[in-house]
Amino acid sequence: MYKLPKIITKLILSTLLLLSIGVYAQEEKLFRARVLYESKIPANIELARLCVDSLILDSITKDDFISWTLRSFIYFDIYKRSEKNKLNSDLRDTIISSIKKSNLLNPDETYLGNNKKLLQNIGAGYFNLSKKMLEDSLDEEKSLIAYNRFKEIYKILEPDINFTSKDIEYNLTKGSIFSDIFIKDNNNNKAQNIAKVALLKVIELDMNNESANINLGLMYYNQAVNLSKELDYGADFTQIDFIQENIIKLAKQAEQFIFKVYTKNNKNARSAEALFYLYRMLLDEPKSDQFKKIAIDLGVKFGDETPTKEEKLNEEKK
Amino acid sequence: MISLRFQQPSQPSNFDTNSKMKAVFLYNFTRYFEWPEKKKENNFIIYVVGKNESLMSELKNLSSKKKVGNQEIEIKNTPHFDSDIISNIIYFSPNIINPISDAASKNKKQGALIVGETPESCNKGASINFVIIDNKLKFEYNKNAAVKAGLETKEDFKALALKVID
Repeated sequence: MYKLPKIITKLILSTLLLLSIGVYAQEEKLFRARVLYESKIPANIELARLCVDSLILDSITKDDFISWTLRSFIYFDIYKRSEKNKLNSDLRDTIISSIKKSNLLNPDETYLGNNKKLLQNIGAGYFNLSKKMLEDSLDEEKSLIAYNRFKEIYKILEPDINFTSKDIEYNLTKGSIFSDIFIKDNNNNKAQNIAKVALLKVIELDMNNESANINLGLMYYNQAVNLSKELDYGADFTQIDFIQENIIKLAKQAEQFIFKVYTKNNKNARSAEALFYLYRMLLDEPKSDQFKKIAIDLGVKFGDETPTKEEKLNEEKK
Repeated sequence: MISLRFQQPSQPSNFDTNSKMKAVFLYNFTRYFEWPEKKKENNFIIYVVGKNESLMSELKNLSSKKKVGNQEIEIKNTPHFDSDIISNIIYFSPNIINPISDAASKNKKQGALIVGETPESCNKGASINFVIIDNKLKFEYNKNAAVKAGLETKEDFKALALKVID
């Protein structure tokens, strides 16, 4: 009768001892991982990774938010040195999943804050990547993937976040880059379509967006200019008529966007300048003269290759 | 939140489509007229009266790329009409109206196609007058003036003109 409680007591004590040894071992491992990580030496960071990967598998520490947050920081250190510019990165995915896991384990305020900062950093990385892919490699598809991932990350941080201003900014950048490409190479229909879709998206979000309206208008205008430039001097009158028709169509499309900008803001020098060129293209001398004067008053400088009617008359009097 | 670099709006091209169109028209006119033999000997001269930098630039470009028959195209320009300049085409810039009559009388049978760009041009003796209809460049044709200038004309040219003065 005496022996049973004794055995049970021994068993409990042994279990507690083993558990405490286990806990101590895990705490030791966590401590070690942290020290290795904080040394910031690449070789040590790799060791920290091995350490923390075993921690998150251990039954004692797998539900500890500290292990998961530490893991995300260790992986982030490796990621920023090697995979920051990759659209698809296992390291980045591990960071995100570790932060998500840590957040599910009710972290204290400090860890919650650290998790948030790290996620913001990952989101910013995606955003910069989306920009880099537009500006450097003109890879619109990959850029869009990066941009959508940036949005997903920020939704984790703020589920009710409104992306309208970011969508405008992103599409405006895309529209400007691709409209410039199209203006330089009128046969680049892909660039034209990307630019149009992006700029129309901006206008859908912000009807009176000056940059989008002007860029879209200028895209049509410059397309008309290119038609004229490409017209062979030896074209016959049928071809000339066809080209003139198309120039007029494009100029009128341009007019609706550019004129809208000027109507909303008559101090917008770029719109006044563009309207001068546009009405000159449409052979509307009174209007082109009017907008030339307005543009000059707003600080636009013109060469004397396009005199107004008044300037022409003065020239003749001389 | 992070931000993208602001993109400046694109620049409108300052290319003058109107001047390009006029240059194309002027070159096209050469297909529909026959100049006297003496005007086929040297360069084919297009004489622009009045200051018109963008048209001059277009015509110089044209002259570097095209010929009229075997003739090289040469471009001349003076601010005011100079009757001593021998040419195949005389183009009067808009607002230069008065010298057209002078040019027409001095060029009788001399083989110069006079082209103007004001409502009175054809009445003053120009063979062709540029007009603008529905934002398009078109032209009126004064056949009598062309004949008086010593040019042989092709009948199908009449169909291309907006208005014909026979």
